[in-house]
Amino acid sequence: MTSYSNGGVFNPAYHDSETLEIDRRSSRKHQHTNPYARVDPAQWGHNVEPGDNGEWGAAGDGWTRRENVPMGLISTRLGSPPLQQNPNNTSQIDPDSQYDRLPPVQLHSSISGNMTMRWRGVTMRRMSMFPNADPAHAAFTEDAIKSEMENEEQNLIKELVALSTTEQIRKIRELPVSFEEKKHVRTQVTAFKSSGQYHHFTSLTDFSQNMSLSMRRFGYSIKSARQTLQLWQGIMKEIGGKFGSSVLNYFVLLKWLLLFNIFSFLVNFGFITIPLLVYDLSLNVSPNVSFRGLELLTGAGYFNYTIMYYGSYSNETIRGLLDYDMQLAYFFTISVYMVLCGLVLIFSMASSFKKNYALADPASNSAWQLLCSWDFSITNEKAVNQRKNNLRIQLKESLSEKAHRERQTTSEQLKQYGIYFGSWLLSTGLAAGCGASIFYLCHYEDERVEDTETWSALKEAETLLVPFVVSLMNMVIPLFFSLFNKFEQYSSQRKQIYALLFRNVLLRISILGVLCYYWMNTVPQKFTCWEPMVGQALYRLVIVDFIFLMLGSLFGEFLSNVIGTKIQPRLGVPEFDVARNVLEIIYAQTLAWIGIYFSPLLPVIQILKFFILFYLKKVSLTHNCQPPRRSGRAAQMKTIFIFLLFFPFFVGALSIVAYTSWRLTPSEQCGPFRGLNSTFSVTGEWIDHVNNNSSTHWVGWIYQNVIRSEIFYFLSTLIILVIIYIFWQLIQGRKQLIVLLRRQIINEGKDKSFLLEKLQNLQKSCPEVNKKHKKRTTHTSRRSAERSSGSQSNSNAMVQVLLARQQLEEEERRRASGVSVPSDISTSDAVTQAMLARQKAERQDENVYEITDGHPPSLDAVAQSLAARQRAEDRDEYWSTTHFNQSNPV
Amino acid sequence: MGNKQTIFTDEQLDAYQDCTFFTRKEILRLHSRYHELAPHLVPMDYTNEPDCKLPLALIVDMPELKENPFRNRIVESFSEDGMGNLSFNEFVDMFSVLSEMAPRELKAIYAFKIYDYNVDNYLCKEDLEKTLNKLTKEELTPEEVELVCEKAIEEADLDGDNKLSYADFENMITRAPDFLSTFHIRI
Repeated sequence: MTSYSNGGVFNPAYHDSETLEIDRRSSRKHQHTNPYARVDPAQWGHNVEPGDNGEWGAAGDGWTRRENVPMGLISTRLGSPPLQQNPNNTSQIDPDSQYDRLPPVQLHSSISGNMTMRWRGVTMRRMSMFPNADPAHAAFTEDAIKSEMENEEQNLIKELVALSTTEQIRKIRELPVSFEEKKHVRTQVTAFKSSGQYHHFTSLTDFSQNMSLSMRRFGYSIKSARQTLQLWQGIMKEIGGKFGSSVLNYFVLLKWLLLFNIFSFLVNFGFITIPLLVYDLSLNVSPNVSFRGLELLTGAGYFNYTIMYYGSYSNETIRGLLDYDMQLAYFFTISVYMVLCGLVLIFSMASSFKKNYALADPASNSAWQLLCSWDFSITNEKAVNQRKNNLRIQLKESLSEKAHRERQTTSEQLKQYGIYFGSWLLSTGLAAGCGASIFYLCHYEDERVEDTETWSALKEAETLLVPFVVSLMNMVIPLFFSLFNKFEQYSSQRKQIYALLFRNVLLRISILGVLCYYWMNTVPQKFTCWEPMVGQALYRLVIVDFIFLMLGSLFGEFLSNVIGTKIQPRLGVPEFDVARNVLEIIYAQTLAWIGIYFSPLLPVIQILKFFILFYLKKVSLTHNCQPPRRSGRAAQMKTIFIFLLFFPFFVGALSIVAYTSWRLTPSEQCGPFRGLNSTFSVTGEWIDHVNNNSSTHWVGWIYQNVIRSEIFYFLSTLIILVIIYIFWQLIQGRKQLIVLLRRQIINEGKDKSFLLEKLQNLQKSCPEVNKKHKKRTTHTSRRSAERSSGSQSNSNAMVQVLLARQQLEEEERRRASGVSVPSDISTSDAVTQAMLARQKAERQDENVYEITDGHPPSLDAVAQSLAARQRAEDRDEYWSTTHFNQSNPV
Repeated sequence: MGNKQTIFTDEQLDAYQDCTFFTRKEILRLHSRYHELAPHLVPMDYTNEPDCKLPLALIVDMPELKENPFRNRIVESFSEDGMGNLSFNEFVDMFSVLSEMAPRELKAIYAFKIYDYNVDNYLCKEDLEKTLNKLTKEELTPEEVELVCEKAIEEADLDGDNKLSYADFENMITRAPDFLSTFHIRI
C-alpha cells in the first residue's frame, strides 16, 4: 500500500538535495515517521547529522531503537557506526513532510504519533494493516497494534510534557484526531505533569499549573470578548454565504479601513482636539459668518472657524497641571498615526504575501478548480447553483481554450498585440488627459477666487466644481476602461483583471497627483491661511466622492438590474465588480490620509462615509447584484488590494504629508505652526528646550546624531540594502531547492513503481514457498514486534513490512546461501562498496554543507557511489529485489 | 451566565477550548445549534457527557451544510463510525476543522478525506469524477469529465502513479492559497 523509495543510493537527485538543509530535516524525520527507514540501507548512510538538531530535545531515544532493528542486513550494517552518535530526537515537526503520504483514519482509542506529522504516519501504518489483514495474522496484529498504540501514546505525552503550556495546547489542538482523543491526551499530559514525574517540586508545579490555567482562561475570555465586539459578524456570514469569499473580501477591507479611521479619530480627537477644547471652548467665528447648511457640502464658511481644520488650532502651550504643547502634540499625533498606519499595512501585506503568494502556482488550474475552488462557506441555494454553472462554463472554456490557442495564427496574434497597444495607449492617454484637464480647471478656479470671508452662497457652491468633475471622471472613465477590456482578449482572467486595475490606479493617481501639485504649489502662495483651504478642498472631495459612490451603487447597480431583468434580459443582472469597488474605497481612504494634516477631524466624515457605505453596498449587493461569474483567486486579489492600498496610495499620501511638514512654510496667521519655518522645526525647538535641562542631555545627542545626521541614514540604508541582498539570495536558493525537491519526488515515484513491479514479479515467481513459510514468518515478526515495542519508532507498520518481506527475504536468503554463495558474496560486496562510496560522499557533503547552503555535492564521491551502484545492479538483480523487500513494504 | 453552568462544567469548557479552535461562547452556541437539530434527543445538560448521536440526515439539514455539494462526505469524514452519525464532540470537531483558525495542514487532511469517496487513501480518477459531478450538477459530458479529471491528475500527480496521494494533494494545497479561506464554514 504504502511504500517508500529506497532511492537514496540509487538516485542522483537524492544526492544533490542531500546538501540542502531542508532535505536534511526531512531525512531525519524520515527516521521517526517512517518505520521502514530503519531497514533502509540508504538511511544508514544518512545518519551522520549535524549536532544541532536537538532543538526539540524531548525524550530522545532515536538511536537506541536502531538496536532493535529486527531485520538488519548484516552486510550493510558495516556502514552504520555513525548512527551511534546520532543525537536523535523524537519530536521533529515538519509540516512539509513529503514522506507521510496518507491521512489518518480515525480509529477510536488510538492515540498515537506526536504532532500531526507523526500521527499521520502512524495512522497510515495502522490503517494499512487492516484492509489486507490476513486472518492468520489477525491475533498477532492486534497485539502489536495495542502495544504500538500504547507506545506511541506514551511518547506523545512525553513530548508534549516537555513543551511549554501554550505550545502543548497548540499541538494538541492541531492533532488530526477526534476531540475525545485530544481530550484524553490532554488529561494524560496534565496527569503526567502533576504526578511529579516531570517536576520535583510538586507544590511549585501546582502553583504554576493553576497560574497557567487561570492565565489561559483569562486569554480565552479576552478572545471571547473580542469576538463579541466584532462588527457585523452576521452580515459578513450572510454575504459570504450568498456571494462567496471574493465579494466578502471587499466588505472585510471596508471594515478594516473603517477601524483604521476609528483609531485615527480617537487619536486625533484625544490628543489634539480635546486639549484644545479644554483650553478654549469659544469659537472665534467672525460675526458676518453664519451657518447656512451649504457648509455640509463645501466644508467652507462656518466650518472654517471650527476645529475641523488646521487653522483653528492654537500654537500655545496649555498650562495646567501639565504643560501641554499644542505644536508638539499636533506634530507627533499626526506623525505617529501615519507611522502606525504604515506599519500595520506593511505587516498585513507581508503576512498576506507569505500566505498567499509564496507558493502560489498558476500552473495547476484544473486540479485547483476541482479540489480547491469550491467555497464551503456558500450556503445560499441560488448562489450554489450559479457557482456550479460558472464552474462548468469555466471548465468547458479551459478545455476549448487549449485548442483555440494552438490554432492561433501569426496575423491573429499581431492583431491582438495591436489591440493591446491601442488600448494601453488610449487608457494612458485618458488618464493623462484627465490629469491635465483637472490642472487647467484648478487654474481657472484659482483666478476667480477672492478672499474667502466674503463668499456668497453661489461662490461657495462654485467650489464644488472641481470635486464634482474629479468624481465624475473617477466614475465614468473606468467604464471606458472596462469597455477596452472587452475588446482585448487576455490569455488569462488574472491578466485581464490586473490590466484593468492598473489602468484605474493610473487614472486616480494622475488626478490626485495634479491636485496635490496644485495644493502644494499654488495654494500656499495665494492664501494667507492656506492649510484650511487644502483641508476644505479635501473635505469637498471626500463628500462629493461619497455622493457619487451612493449614486453609483443606487443608480448604477439598481438601473442595470432593472434593465437586466425587465428591459434587456440578455444583459442579465449586473455582477458585483469587486476590483472597481475596492479601488473606490482605497481612493476614498487616500483622501482621508492626505487630509489628516490639514483637517484632523476628517476621519469623522470618513467613519460616517464608510459606515453608510457598508450598509448601502450590502443592500445594493443583495438586491441588485449577482456574484461575480469568475471568482478568480480571491486570496491573491486580497493581497493585491492590500498592496495597492499600501504602495501607490498610502505611500503617496505619506509623502505628501511629509513634504508639507518638511518643506512648506506654514501660514503665518493661523494654525499651530504659525511663525515657524517648517512644521518639522518644531522638534528642533523642543530639543533645544530639552537640552537646557542637563539631565536629559542624551535626547539632544540622539537628535543630533541620529535623526539629523546624514551618516546615520547613509549607514542604515547600506545595511538594509545588504540585508535585502542576502535575503534575495536566500530566496533564490530556496527556489532552487524547491525545484530539486520536486525532482526528487518525481524520482522517488519512479523508483517506487519500478520496485513495485519487481516485487510483483518476484511474488509471482515463488508463491508456493511463501505459503510454506508463513507460519514461521509470523513468529519471527511477532518476536521483532515485541522487541520493538520498547522504542519510539518501532512501529507496528514494521510488523506489516515483515509480513510481506520476511517470507520472501528469508526464503531468498536460505536459497541464496544454499545455492549461490558466490553470487551472494559478490552482491554484498557491491553493496558494501556502494555504502562506502555513499558515506564518503556524505562526509564530503557534510563539510561542504558547513560552509554554504545549497552547495552542489562533491561530484566525484557521487560518481563513485553511482559507479558502485551500477556495479551492484549489473552484477545481480537479486540484490535489488532483496533490498527492496527490506525497505519497501507493499 | 447562569445557564452556561447547566450545560457544561468549567472543566469541560476548558477542555473544549484547549482542544478545539473555539471559545467558550462558540462552544455554547454550537451546543445550542446541535440541540436545535433534535430538541427531544439532545439533552440540555451535558455535564455528565451523555451518549447521544444524531444521524447524518439531521445534520446535513443545517443551513450551513444544506447546500454544500459535499455535505454527506463532510459529515461522514468526521463521524467515528463512518456512517455519518455525529456525537456532539464530533460535531464540534467538524466545525473546529472548518473554522477560520484551523491551520492549513489540518484542513488539508480532512479535505483529503472528504474527497476520498472510496476511502482508499488515494484520490483516484473515480473520486475526482464524483467530485466534479457534484460541482457541476452532472452537466458535463462523460468525455469532458474524463478530460478534466485526467488533466487534474496530470497536473497534481508528482510521483506518476496516476492517482493523487496525500502528498500530492498537500503539495497542491500549499500552492492554492485560497484553500484556507474557501475550506471554511462560518457557524
